[in-house]
Amino acid sequence: MRIESLSIKTVTVAVFAMLGVVAIILSVFAGTYFRQAALDAQMNSLSRVIEVASQEVLKEVRAYTFDLGMKLGHSKQLAQALQQADKSGGHDRLAALLDDPFINGFVGFSKVNLVKLRLYSLDLELVSESGAGIEGLDKHLSEYLAGTVVKRNKTDRLKTVDALWMSSQGPLYSTLLPLGGLRQIGYLEVIIDPAFNLPGIGKITKTPISVFSISGAQISTDERGNANQYLPVEFTMRMSDGEPAFRIVGYEDVDKLNRSMKKTQLVTTSGFLALTLGTLLFALWLFNRFLFIPVGRMVQDMKQIADGQLDLTVNKKGLREISVLANSFESMANQVKIRTNDLERLLDLDDSAILCFGNDAEAVYFNKVAIALFAYSDNEISDLDLGDVFSEDIVQLMKTPAPSNSLLQKHTLATRLSCIGKDGHVFQSDAVINALELREGFGYAIVLNPIADGKDDLLANYVVSSIEKNEQRMHAVEQSLNSILKIARDKQGLVSALGDIARPALPGRDSDGDKCLLREHAVTVMRSALACWEHDLRKTKLDLAEESRIWPVYIDKSTPTTRTLDKYLNIDSCPRNPRSQRVIDTAEFVLRQMNKKTTVGRKKLQKALDDFRLTISGIKSTSK
Amino acid sequence: MVLRHNYIRIHIIFFYIPVFFSSGVFAVEKPYAPENIPGATRVSAEEVVDLILSNPDMIIIDSRKKTEYLKGHIEGAINILNTELALDDLEAVAPDRTQAVLFYCNGTRCLRSSDSIDKAVKWGYRKIFWFRGGWEEWKEKRLPVITE
Repeated sequence: MRIESLSIKTVTVAVFAMLGVVAIILSVFAGTYFRQAALDAQMNSLSRVIEVASQEVLKEVRAYTFDLGMKLGHSKQLAQALQQADKSGGHDRLAALLDDPFINGFVGFSKVNLVKLRLYSLDLELVSESGAGIEGLDKHLSEYLAGTVVKRNKTDRLKTVDALWMSSQGPLYSTLLPLGGLRQIGYLEVIIDPAFNLPGIGKITKTPISVFSISGAQISTDERGNANQYLPVEFTMRMSDGEPAFRIVGYEDVDKLNRSMKKTQLVTTSGFLALTLGTLLFALWLFNRFLFIPVGRMVQDMKQIADGQLDLTVNKKGLREISVLANSFESMANQVKIRTNDLERLLDLDDSAILCFGNDAEAVYFNKVAIALFAYSDNEISDLDLGDVFSEDIVQLMKTPAPSNSLLQKHTLATRLSCIGKDGHVFQSDAVINALELREGFGYAIVLNPIADGKDDLLANYVVSSIEKNEQRMHAVEQSLNSILKIARDKQGLVSALGDIARPALPGRDSDGDKCLLREHAVTVMRSALACWEHDLRKTKLDLAEESRIWPVYIDKSTPTTRTLDKYLNIDSCPRNPRSQRVIDTAEFVLRQMNKKTTVGRKKLQKALDDFRLTISGIKSTSK
Repeated sequence: MVLRHNYIRIHIIFFYIPVFFSSGVFAVEKPYAPENIPGATRVSAEEVVDLILSNPDMIIIDSRKKTEYLKGHIEGAINILNTELALDDLEAVAPDRTQAVLFYCNGTRCLRSSDSIDKAVKWGYRKIFWFRGGWEEWKEKRLPVITE
C-alpha cells in the first residue's frame, strides 16, 4: 500500500484502533499477572497457615504426652521398679508397668497414637521399653534428644524435651521427661506417631489437606475432584534437626478468587475498550473540527485555483499550520496570476492574433484577438489542435527546407495560411510561425494578421515589418512561456493549458509505446462509456456531451456536433496526449447515471476504466 | 410526645448505660504483681528447683484455688488460698518462723501469693521466698508437675 493512498483520518483511526488493541492486550496480560500474583500470595499465606496449624497440632500432642509422662514419671511403682531393674525379674516388671498405658489406656488415649514407652538411666542408657507398640526401633535415644539433654546443666535436665525425629520406622515424636519428679532417677521417653494427628491440621485451617511422607507415600488424603476450584499448596514439615519429615498439601478453594478475577478482568478490559472508543471518538471530532474540515476546504479551494480560477482565495480557517499553508499557496497562485497577466498583456499589445500550440499540435494559448478571430470560447481552446484551425500542416511547413526566400530566418517562417473559424468558414491570413524552443520541449507561436481585401501585394512588406516588429516580442513571449512553464512544472495543473508542454519527458513513461497504449485505453473507455450510455440508458452521444458538461458541443451549420468527443472514439483521431481526466470523468459520469444497474456493458466499462487508471499510474506498464 | 421522651430516657438509663459500662470500654487491665515484696526473696523456677533440692524441709505454699491446684502443682506444695490463709494454718505447717517458706500462685498477674506473703511477713516469718513467675513460668519451662 502506498502512503499516498492513506488519509490522515484513516491513519488516525488505525493508530487509535491499534492503541485500543494494545491496551486491551495489556489489560489481559496485566489481569493474568495480577491473578498469578494473587494466587502466589494466597499460596504463601496458606503455606504459613499450615505451618502454624502444624505447630498447634504438635503443641496439642505435646500436652498429652507431657501429661502421660508426668503421671508415669511420678509413679512410685515405676520408680521402685527402675531402682530394682537389675534384680531378678526387674526388667519384666518394668516392661509390664510400661505396657500398662497400652492396655488400660490413659487420659488422651484416643488423641494420640502411642507407639512406645522407654526408660533410660541418668546416663541416657536404655533400661527398658514397653513390649507393646511398634518394633524395630533403635535401642538408644535419638541423637537430637540425647544431644539436647547432654548439653544441659543439672537443673535444666529436669525440663521436658520434645523432638520430631526420624526412626527406622519413619518420623516419630518423642517427649523425654525426668523420672522421679524433682529428685530425678532416670528418664522416661513417650513416643507417638505424629502422622495420626497431622490430618487435624485441616480442621484448624478449614481446608482439605493431604499428608505425604517425604518418599511420596500417601499417609492421609482429602483430595478434591475439581482441580480448577482447588489450588494445592505445599508445606514441608521439618524434624527437629531441620531435615524434612512430612509433605503436607493443603487445598485452597480459589473458586471465588477466580470468579472475582474474571470479573475484574472483564471490567478492566471493557473499561479500556470504552476508554479507547471514547478517546477515538473525541480525537476524531477534534481532528475533524480542527484538521480534516479545514484541510478539506483548503483542498477544494486549491483544486479550483489549480483549475485556473486564480481569483479565488484559499480558506484559511484552521490551525496555524493550515493558515500558513493556505497563505503560501495563495502567494504562489498570485505569482502565477501576475506572470500570466504579464504574458497576456505582452501578447495583447496590438491587433495581432497570437496562437500557441504544443509539440503535439494541440492548442495551448489563444490571445483575445485570436479568440475573437476564430469565434471560440475560452473553454473550447484546450480541445483544439492545429488541424482544427488551419488547413495547412504547420508542422510539415516548419520542416520544409529553407527556400531561397530570405523571409525564413532561423526558426521563423512567414507565410499565408488558410484559417478555419468555429462556424466552419475559411479565411486567409498572413502569418509568422515561430518554433519556440522551450526548456523541456518545443512548440509553435503563430502570429496572424488577416488580409484586407485587395492588399495581397502587401504581404512581403508586412511580413518583413512584422518579423522585425515581433522579433523582440517573440523573444519576450518565449521568456514568459518559459517562466510559466517553470511554475507549471512545479505544480502541474495550476497552469492546466500548458501542462503538456511543461511536463518533462520521463524515461519509459512518455515513450511512444506508452502513449499509444494510453490512447488505446482512452478510446476503449470512451467507447465502452458511450456504448453503456446509448445501450443501457438509451441516450445519444450529444446528450452525453450536454449532460456531462465534460465535452464541448459545436454548432456546424446549425447542426450541433461533438467534434472533440468524436476524436476520442477513434484511435486514429485520438489526440497524441489524450485528456485522461476527461476520459475518467466521462466514465464515472456514465457509471453514476447507471446507478446500481448491473449490465455486461457496465462491467466492461468498469474494467476498461480500471485498466486505464492502472495505465495512468504506471502500474500496468511496470508490471508488464 | 412526653411519653416517647420518657421511653427514650428509660431506655438509655436501663439499657445503654449498663451495656456501655459492662462492654469493657472502661474495663481496667488486671494489675501486675509487685516486682518485689519487702521481707520476701524473689526467685525464678530454676532457683525454686535448687531450693527444693537443697532444702528438703522448705514449705511450699500454693496460694491458688483448689481446682487450679488439683490440675497441677509443684511437687510438695500445700494448697492454702490466700483469702483463707490464717496464722493458725501457717503455724500448723511452719511452726518455726525462721523456717523457709515459698509462696507461689498463677503468675505475674496473680496477687494471691503476694497477699499471702504480706500476711506471713506481718506474722513474723523471716525466711520467705516468692516465686513471682508462679505456675505460668513453671509450666512454660516444662518442669515436673504433680497432677491429682
